[in-house]
Amino acid sequence: MKARMLVVDDEESILLAIREYFVPLRYEVDCAQELEEAEALLSHIRYGLLIADLRLTGIHGNEGLELIRFVRERSPWTRIVVLTGYGSPEMESEAIERGVDAFLQKPVPLAALADIAATLTHQSLSQTPSQAVRRTA
Amino acid sequence: MSLWDRILEPDGLTTVFQPIFRVTGGAGGIGGERIPFALEALTRGPSGTNIERSDVLFEYVRRKRRESEVDLLSIAAALREAATLPELPALSLNVHAATLEREPRLASRLAELAAAHGIPLDRIIIEIVEHAPPWSGPQLLTGLGELRDLGVRIALDDVGLGQSNFRMILDCRPDLLKIDRHFVAGAHADPHRRAVLESVADLAVRLGGEAVAEGIEDERDFAAVTEIGIALVQGYLLCYPRSSRSLRERGFLQPAA
Repeated sequence: MKARMLVVDDEESILLAIREYFVPLRYEVDCAQELEEAEALLSHIRYGLLIADLRLTGIHGNEGLELIRFVRERSPWTRIVVLTGYGSPEMESEAIERGVDAFLQKPVPLAALADIAATLTHQSLSQTPSQAVRRTA
Repeated sequence: MSLWDRILEPDGLTTVFQPIFRVTGGAGGIGGERIPFALEALTRGPSGTNIERSDVLFEYVRRKRRESEVDLLSIAAALREAATLPELPALSLNVHAATLEREPRLASRLAELAAAHGIPLDRIIIEIVEHAPPWSGPQLLTGLGELRDLGVRIALDDVGLGQSNFRMILDCRPDLLKIDRHFVAGAHADPHRRAVLESVADLAVRLGGEAVAEGIEDERDFAAVTEIGIALVQGYLLCYPRSSRSLRERGFLQPAA
């Protein structure tokens, strides 16, 4: 079964690079640049994995953390990888506290990202939503 | 170009239509005649985007709090497309409750567009969708009053779920109560569901209106609904949402057995 992932970043070039790398690896990849677009997709499509930057195009200013909160509340089975160029130890701590599964600083080799994605999506497919909630509690 | 800008492009939003049929004769739905009663206009987002699907489109729009703008754009697109149909029955246009509250130009804009496309206002039904709280009654009721003054009929969507409750029914006095698919699916085998359907159908008649059963996807449920006496029906079993051209070419705008 293909794992379905959502990639959220305000830089189109990053979205394209991740999509091109992961589609041949048998992932179904959707991309979004805005918080509201990502939330709308997550409301109607079940994703195994979210790869998201913390800085997005949106109306709030803290879109990345808002997106993490949304996913943990509404889509607890979705694994979360934060991929950011603006990370600080404090931000990483906050993200992990909010239930992020991996926190990565750009640039990250796509092969390394793929290894993490494979591990997390395998876990995601083999766990029930309630197990995922407990794991991130 | 941003996603929002794609919506605002001249052909950013497109319309497909799903018929609501009136079933006459042939108790049990099967064997009776199906007469097109109305076409519900369903908006699709910009082609090739994540919001091409209507559920994702309107989730996005609600999160951006741009329901009013998109409702007006959707109405314009639907009327433009409906005007190409020579045998147009009634036309049902979805409008968020938020639009009725926040958009004072709704009635005047609807009248302008309908006139521009030659569609009589008494053939238009405004279907109130997504009436989540908090809603401020007076503004919404003013908006509804202006629409009624035009001769437009009012339908309430998703009756039985969420905020489509008795208060909304009393306040909005809808001409049509659209019963959510949740109560229709499986009705043939569930006396409790049939009891709810009977109750809403009876209520609609007592209020001077009529019930519509949505989400007819199973012949047994279709039979159950019509045996209860609900004559207005809509669902994939009867017709998927289609373009105006497809509806015309496949004969869905003509009475059929």
